[in-house]
Amino acid sequence: MRKCLRRSTAALVTALSLTLAACGGGGAADDDTLTVWIMEGTNPDSKPFFAEVGRAFTERTGAELDVQYVPWPDAHDKFTKAMAGGTTPDVAEVGTTWTAEFADAGALADLTDRARDAGLDEDMVPALRTAGTYEDRLYGVPWYAGVRALLYREDVFERHGLDAPTDWPELREVARTLKREEPDMLPFPVVGDGEYVLDAFVWGAGGDLATRGGGGWTSAISTPASLRGLEFYTSLATEDGTSAEAATTWDEADLVAGITGGDVAMAVAGSWTPAAIVADSPELEGKLAAAPIPGPEGGMSPSFLGGSHLGVFNTAPDQDLAWEFVELMTSERYAARWAEQSGYFAGRASLVEQAAEEGGPLVAPFARQMRDAGRTVPVTPAYGQIQGKKTLAQMMQSILSGRKSVEEAARAAAADMDRSFGH
Amino acid sequence: MATETPEAPRTAEDPQPGGPTPGRRPPGPRATAAARARSARAARRRRRARPWLLLAPALLAVGTLLLWPLGRVVWMSFQDYGLREIVSGRTNFTGTDNYAEILGSSYLWTTVLPNTVLFAAACVVLTVVLGTLVALLLQRLGPFWRNLTAGTIMMAWAMPAVTGTYVWIWLFDPLNGAVVQSLGGLGLLDPAATNWFTGRFSFYAIATLNVVHHGFPFVAVTVYAGLLTIPRELTEAGIVDGAGAWQRFWTITVPSIKPVFLVVVILSTIWDFKVFVQLYLMPGGNGANPQVLNLGVWSYVESFAQRQYGMGAAIAVLLTLLLLGITVGYVRALFSESSGEKGDRL
Repeated sequence: MRKCLRRSTAALVTALSLTLAACGGGGAADDDTLTVWIMEGTNPDSKPFFAEVGRAFTERTGAELDVQYVPWPDAHDKFTKAMAGGTTPDVAEVGTTWTAEFADAGALADLTDRARDAGLDEDMVPALRTAGTYEDRLYGVPWYAGVRALLYREDVFERHGLDAPTDWPELREVARTLKREEPDMLPFPVVGDGEYVLDAFVWGAGGDLATRGGGGWTSAISTPASLRGLEFYTSLATEDGTSAEAATTWDEADLVAGITGGDVAMAVAGSWTPAAIVADSPELEGKLAAAPIPGPEGGMSPSFLGGSHLGVFNTAPDQDLAWEFVELMTSERYAARWAEQSGYFAGRASLVEQAAEEGGPLVAPFARQMRDAGRTVPVTPAYGQIQGKKTLAQMMQSILSGRKSVEEAARAAAADMDRSFGH
Repeated sequence: MATETPEAPRTAEDPQPGGPTPGRRPPGPRATAAARARSARAARRRRRARPWLLLAPALLAVGTLLLWPLGRVVWMSFQDYGLREIVSGRTNFTGTDNYAEILGSSYLWTTVLPNTVLFAAACVVLTVVLGTLVALLLQRLGPFWRNLTAGTIMMAWAMPAVTGTYVWIWLFDPLNGAVVQSLGGLGLLDPAATNWFTGRFSFYAIATLNVVHHGFPFVAVTVYAGLLTIPRELTEAGIVDGAGAWQRFWTITVPSIKPVFLVVVILSTIWDFKVFVQLYLMPGGNGANPQVLNLGVWSYVESFAQRQYGMGAAIAVLLTLLLLGITVGYVRALFSESSGEKGDRL
């Protein structure tokens, strides 16, 4: 009995010390190991990729690479907890909209000089560099990103002799024709909880979400130009009926599910979605086509670039070693391979250019959108708050459900944003 | 400590050093009385300390796991606490600003609080009524059907809240959901023009169905256990006296198992006040439709989604106080009832 007790106590102590050791294993690892957090699921099978990167890294620096995978939905909380507990990794993949927030909190290292000295500066995709720059210093090096463009059912379009719209009146006309000819399909769903789709129309009309002046950021969502974009986008649902009531509470995942289920004829969707859609419903193989989001009078409407930066944490004991890893990952060889395997575009302008010229029919239009009209949301931690509060989704839902007019809803959203900006 | 406690009673009777020693001539009555009083006091002190000693390990665990975090939440609620404070470890006290902002916002009084209270009230009433009816049914069934029914309702109870919520969302999905499709098939509504998740009332109606469906098995099982304790003679006497089922329920069943009902109501109230998952996962429930937030979801949206941990903490403190108030009310009702009953019997 006593022996048994002693043994279980010993086991408990061992377990406890193991837990403690595991807790301490974040930033304070051995000098010759670099701890890296990578988001799970971007690349369906990233283990072989990082095995190879690890070998190259050891060859180059003599240090070991310890890659830990973090699921996207938990990632922000996990970063926050790690910052509170002092267990941040040395290097991490950081969502492009989080970089400014983490930089503002004082968690990320300034990489401006290192990036310039390494000659990475010129080849960064501009919108991604903007997203990684906070108060004129670079905290996140663009790694990869996706872009939203127009995705449509080519078979349905061909059946009715339609082409991809090239300006806004054409977009409306195509959607109306589809509504008439394909009563069982949703011609162009207008989603209530899809901020990045909405952004394209606001930017396309020459408006903006917020602008930066001497006294900080000010909302611009209720300026006349922004209102024109909002008016056009929401009127497709409220006047032309190209959407359905159901889409009022949809987010972009629901939209993709709608395309996958064959219910949707045309939508704004991400460059990473066609592969997933065809994988889930093989009968759509060869029936999807893409085009850039048209501008009001031709050209393109700017579209949000969402993806990841690589950031170095201040807690990394060996900043040079951490930078070596960032340089290796964003080198042409590994950036291109990651892009190819994950279905996203690399954060290097030259590689995006290459995809725009040589990519397939479901790649090149997205790459052109990214090259010519990619943009990012306001780079300030306050904008993270606005997204968390879902200010723009609230605005969209109140317009789509008929509770408020476009102007009333935009005014309310602008006031809400300004409160978050601290006015 | 371990050696001292069992010895305590004996040492308490031992003579004090410098006091009278046994075997000698008995000391004067005054000295003996004083010594006896002293040792009695010491014994009482030890007796009083003993429960605390025994409780100490549990209190220590509760203190570190419960009270300390609770204290931190209160401490954070008086600060403007964000990511910057987390990283730097600095404090940023703003006094009662968070509370003033929350209590001064019309959003709390016109939307969040009514949503929380009415939704919880509806859920508690429906859960308890449905649970009691099922318990009465269980009492009347034979063993086979009773086990079958109990097993079936247990499944609803055992289903995780997340899974259950998704099932209800699918059922009421505005485009392809079974409910909309069948009503649309009957020509009662147009599926393309229907979205029950956008309306405040319809949103909460679906959430109520979900919560009641998930909560009533607990009530049914607990009340059924209570019903088994009612002596059969009471019911038989009622029947002989010519009381109907309705009358017997209110004059025999309810008074006999009132404490069971009170426990069930208190627990349901606490659960239904802080419903989170069932609302947050519904379309629009994550903050996109501000009309449908309750205190729990609002606290989450304010703190974790917007990274204003101080504000979220303040809302959480208010929710706790509200629940505490309601619980104290219930418990007092329970105790006054039971002492009243005793009085009647005397």
